[in-house]
Amino acid sequence: MSRLTTVRAAVTAVALLAGIVLMYFAPHADRIGYIKGAQLGTYFIAILGLNIVTGYTGQISLGHGAFMAIGGYTTAILVSEHGVRDLWTIPIAALVAGLAGFIVGVPALRLSGLYLALATFGLALAMPAILSWDKLDAVTKSGHEIQLFNSPHLIGKGFEDVHFLGRTLPFNHAVYYLTWGIALVLLVVAWLILRGAPGRAFRAVRDSELAATSSGVHVATYKTLAFAISAAYAGIAGSLFVIALAFADPQSFPATLSLTLLVGAAVAGLGSLWGVLAGAAFVQFLPDFAVHISKAQGVPDTVYGAALILIVLLLPTGVAGGLRRALSPLTTRLYTRSQS
Amino acid sequence: MPRVLLIATAALLVLGIPVAFGGTQADPGITPTSIHIGGTVPLSGSAQAFQSVAKGADAYFKYVNARGGVNKRKINYEYLDDQYIPSETVRQTRVLVEDKDVFAIFNSLGTEQNEATRPYLNTKDVPQLFVATGGTTFGRDRQQYPWTIAYQPTYIAEGAMYGSYIRRTQPKAKIAILYQDDSYGGDLVKGLERGLGPRKSNIVSRVSYSATDDNVQSQIARLRSSKAGILMLFATPKFVIQAYQYVNGLGWKPKIFVNAVSSASNVMVLSSSQGKNKRVEGSISIVFLKDPNDPKWAKDPAVLLYRKIMKKYARGSNIKDVYNLYGMSVAFTFVDALKHAGKSPTRASLMRAATHLNERNNPFLLPRMSVRTTSTDHYPLDQARLQRWHNGRWISFGGLLKARS
Amino acid sequence: MTEFLQQVVAGLASGSIYALLALGIVIIYRSTGIVNFAQGEMATFTTFIAWTLVDHGLGYWAAFPLTLLIAFAGGIALERTIVRRVEGGPVITAVILTIGLFILLGGLSNWIWKAEVRSFPPDRPFPTSAWDLGGVAISKQDAGILAITVVLVVALWALFQLTKLGLALRASALNPTASRLVGIRVGWMLALGWGLAAALGAVAGLFTAAASPPLDPNMMRPVLIYALAAAVLGGLESPVGAIIGGLAIGVLLNLVVTYDTHIHLDLDRMRIPIAFLMILIVLLVRPSGLLGRSVVRRV
Repeated sequence: MSRLTTVRAAVTAVALLAGIVLMYFAPHADRIGYIKGAQLGTYFIAILGLNIVTGYTGQISLGHGAFMAIGGYTTAILVSEHGVRDLWTIPIAALVAGLAGFIVGVPALRLSGLYLALATFGLALAMPAILSWDKLDAVTKSGHEIQLFNSPHLIGKGFEDVHFLGRTLPFNHAVYYLTWGIALVLLVVAWLILRGAPGRAFRAVRDSELAATSSGVHVATYKTLAFAISAAYAGIAGSLFVIALAFADPQSFPATLSLTLLVGAAVAGLGSLWGVLAGAAFVQFLPDFAVHISKAQGVPDTVYGAALILIVLLLPTGVAGGLRRALSPLTTRLYTRSQS
Repeated sequence: MPRVLLIATAALLVLGIPVAFGGTQADPGITPTSIHIGGTVPLSGSAQAFQSVAKGADAYFKYVNARGGVNKRKINYEYLDDQYIPSETVRQTRVLVEDKDVFAIFNSLGTEQNEATRPYLNTKDVPQLFVATGGTTFGRDRQQYPWTIAYQPTYIAEGAMYGSYIRRTQPKAKIAILYQDDSYGGDLVKGLERGLGPRKSNIVSRVSYSATDDNVQSQIARLRSSKAGILMLFATPKFVIQAYQYVNGLGWKPKIFVNAVSSASNVMVLSSSQGKNKRVEGSISIVFLKDPNDPKWAKDPAVLLYRKIMKKYARGSNIKDVYNLYGMSVAFTFVDALKHAGKSPTRASLMRAATHLNERNNPFLLPRMSVRTTSTDHYPLDQARLQRWHNGRWISFGGLLKARS
Repeated sequence: MTEFLQQVVAGLASGSIYALLALGIVIIYRSTGIVNFAQGEMATFTTFIAWTLVDHGLGYWAAFPLTLLIAFAGGIALERTIVRRVEGGPVITAVILTIGLFILLGGLSNWIWKAEVRSFPPDRPFPTSAWDLGGVAISKQDAGILAITVVLVVALWALFQLTKLGLALRASALNPTASRLVGIRVGWMLALGWGLAAALGAVAGLFTAAASPPLDPNMMRPVLIYALAAAVLGGLESPVGAIIGGLAIGVLLNLVVTYDTHIHLDLDRMRIPIAFLMILIVLLVRPSGLLGRSVVRRV
């Protein structure tokens, strides 16, 4: 990997870190900004994960909302039924969701392109119904909806203030930092994976499975690995989502969520990490913006759908691709080495 | 360094989001000239037909504001869309409480939806007023949740009314039930069993459906094979309309009971397919509001007021939609409570007023009905009459009955 | 036994609606290689147009064909303007496009017609009674739906197999380059495919409004799911598969949920997961669907 990209990555990480730290000392900002900011972070993590499997190995998943649901419900059940501290449930949620991703990834090997998209879409559709299944009450015990509010195992139970490093934070702030802190770590992890051998293997699989196999890349391993990793990411996002709301119900993760995630990944630009923030911002803020235009029934969706179609037609490679194209005259002049 | 520019922008975004949303600390929703209340209703999604409860209430508040408001305060009622999804209800309610700084939560719709926000609102000491659902828990669990109060007669009470009526009039009839598989449908069934008492065994078939189903055709087919003489429809309007159609299509002729939530006359007229579907004739339900489509009330001052307010403040809304009138009734009660909360209301004083109601003049309710609450009775409405659908309209019969859980 | 037959009959009726929508999905996939996630919303939109026509005084049986025509034109317009730009490109782009259409049309339906409870058609087009065959009630409406579906399917088959236009359509889907070489205007053939699919969707929507009242903007969402399942079940390339798949799913779902009372698996809410499970099993056993062509990739 060129030193250039190493420098770029380092600068990104530092900048993001600085941003978060600065936030800590920012003048008192409205509380709702933190809720929306945390939700943005949740989308960021999930789309990051989705990008790994769809952007880097070319397997289209329309089911990542289901992995979010698995992670979210893992957290919810562990906190409410087993008294596990919510922060510890996050890695567990990642493992459970990752395992689910692996289990999905295996049969996914037999399916290609649209068939995989449809099969994963079916998973996303089935998940709310599965979570409502009465036969699962043995596991979920408290019924399909799980109320975490007032649970002593939640940071800031009852949305109280959280104590951290000697400072008292309102709950919303704490969730915001938690989410973005984890997002940053996961971004670095993703970057490390993708710049190393697994990343090269992923890209090889995406570009040509045949060529990859001939070069000695074990396609099946890397495809399922990609699924597992991306599902783990989605699971973490789901876990944070539930923690922020202190509530989980089967309809929190509808099929449309999976569609939204894919839209976010596409807008970001598949196969590139830099646009993920833009993709997350798109799916988070465009609906809000559309509601601002008019609260009348149906108008927000009309605006959102129209915007989506426009982006597909005008920016088919997503924001990252668009930026790459827009900035390429500059970069090719300044750097003569070929970019990775 | 264009990439670095990109990075810096990203950092600014992360930094800037909360600042961008920055606002000022505000009082919790009350000033000398206004009071800001909020609630959630499904403006989109499968239950969006129920949003009229908010529209009707909003229209009524506008009417009250035009007359000077309450103690010189104008009521600013804001309702957000929760798509009938409980986690969205939580999110939107937090927006209302923490961002919009509302004084109280009012008229939020849905059993699970209000259950989801109830612990939060009670912990934050925010009044959860007049929830738009008949879930018994909202009145029953007042000690655990003192900031919550219900409004309409509970589903259990309603089911019990049907049960005791059947016990009195058709003690030997076999009963089949179509019910939604949640606490709304479950409470209605529970109430029915309670009202039937020893005749509970007459229930020969009970089939549930999920709100996410597309139709209940196979459920009705199953119920039909039980050959019951009575069919209880404990379902939302969409599925009630379908049920009437399938019952008719299958040549089954049971006597039908339809729950109040779906008994709006516009729903009944649709179900009767311009009179072609005879199964609708003779259906029984309960009623506690004046139906604006009923010729009996055509000249009633309350209904005339309703029409006037709808025309002036809710242009484009469907006047035939009974949920608008429900909204006005609950808005009337809110105004009543606000008036009794003192010249400088606090959340606590409003809550006290809401739990000590003695309202006998709500024009939108049936005559002689009152809205009464005490510290041990968080069921504002606990009366109703039975009504029968005949020749295209509801005709109430019997007296005003107690509708208690 | 009568219970069983009753559920089969009901299942065939709902299944024919799934089959019609699935057929539209397959036609679009065969011609343009795109899975149209917006198929259901297109159907809803055109059904609302039909309602508007009837609301303005047109008789139901006059509005029906007129709606089909409008849908047909709409489908062609959609392909010629928007869809052609993503044809032949990466799969993901087309997926996102149809998702965008799905959201857009859903929003438009809500915006223009709002969420009121309305029944359509207001006048029952089919007689409301039923025939009783040994305890099994067959509603005349269900029979009518099934009959019209059969007629449409036969008509389509005739179009594709017996006419020159049908030959051109098939050729364009199979080998666009060669088709162009023999003078077929491939672009317009693809558009025609979309038009036909939109018309089929319109029929599915009209039937859904009649069979599962009331008419509301979300009514086709579950139908789309079963239609996708049916299309995949039969193999995305097989029209016959789509029809059989649709009917099978309709019947199977009814039977499974009915007989759940005996196996106690609490399946009343599980219709969608069951449909999904069916897709999954079929795809794992035969990745190109029950009747799809096995794709052998040249190495």
